[in-house]
Amino acid sequence: MTFVLTMSAATAAAGLEMLEALAIVLAVGISRNLRDALLGGIAAVASVLLLCAALGPPLLAGADLHFLRVVVGGFLLLFGLEWLRKGVLRVAGRRRRSSSYHEFLETRETLDEPGEAPVGGPDWAARLVAFKGVFLEGLEVGLIVLALGGAPGRLTPALLGAALALVLVTAVGVVLHRPLQRLPETQLKLGVGVALTAFGTFFAAEGLNVEWPLGDVALLYVAGLYAAVAWLGVRWLSPAAIRAPEPA
Amino acid sequence: MTQLLRSLRKLVFGETWVVPLGVGGALLGSLLVRASVPAGAWHTAGGFVLAALVAAALVASLRAGS
Repeated sequence: MTFVLTMSAATAAAGLEMLEALAIVLAVGISRNLRDALLGGIAAVASVLLLCAALGPPLLAGADLHFLRVVVGGFLLLFGLEWLRKGVLRVAGRRRRSSSYHEFLETRETLDEPGEAPVGGPDWAARLVAFKGVFLEGLEVGLIVLALGGAPGRLTPALLGAALALVLVTAVGVVLHRPLQRLPETQLKLGVGVALTAFGTFFAAEGLNVEWPLGDVALLYVAGLYAAVAWLGVRWLSPAAIRAPEPA
Repeated sequence: MTQLLRSLRKLVFGETWVVPLGVGGALLGSLLVRASVPAGAWHTAGGFVLAALVAAALVASLRAGS
């Protein structure tokens, strides 16, 4: 069961970040030049992969197992709680809802400002915008996958989850940007926040010599606890916003 | 470069300091509880202590962000 849960969490978290990266590449490609956008994006993906391959294994291999679980759990708690906090505030209507489509529009507006793309030669502004956007989103994917896969026996499902996310997001990209508008990203991110926070608690507690009642099933009831707290948070911050529809 | 570093800091620690402080506080609080209760009790119930502290950190971050 841990295999499936780890893989699902990695797919959802990595997929959402990859969607944001895709929105940036599409925006650059449509506003300026698809070739330059792809070159910037591919260079960023290669940089992230190199960085993860260079830093990940030594960091994961050299540490004491209990210490490693606490560190991995701590990182997952950092990511998970931030996603959870933002998700609750968004669902409660306290901040703008998450949307890769909005990111797409904002990137297009940014690129419209410096003027026309150069004709014939390389468009370095477009490459740089695509590189920076994809690099930052990719780094978050790398950190989440390394953290999820950091515990013994969990690297394979975490990598498989990220690979599955890449396939799914590429498929979305091929079908153009319209589906970006239809994804309930706010709710998905809230769910991923719950999952990452549950994984973080589970690993960190194991690192502190805790043995969870019912073993891996603890991931489910801990996630249930955080989902309940998030739901209460939404009610507390804005009871009327619970059924607010996703903007078109 | 400064903007990139700011983005990286935001990426790891989030938009506010409440979440990293809350996570640090939850882990530190768990260590303190672990040191002050019998090993057997911690072994079986320590996870719930950590989960409760993390939930409290979430509530604190929501209060700060609202």
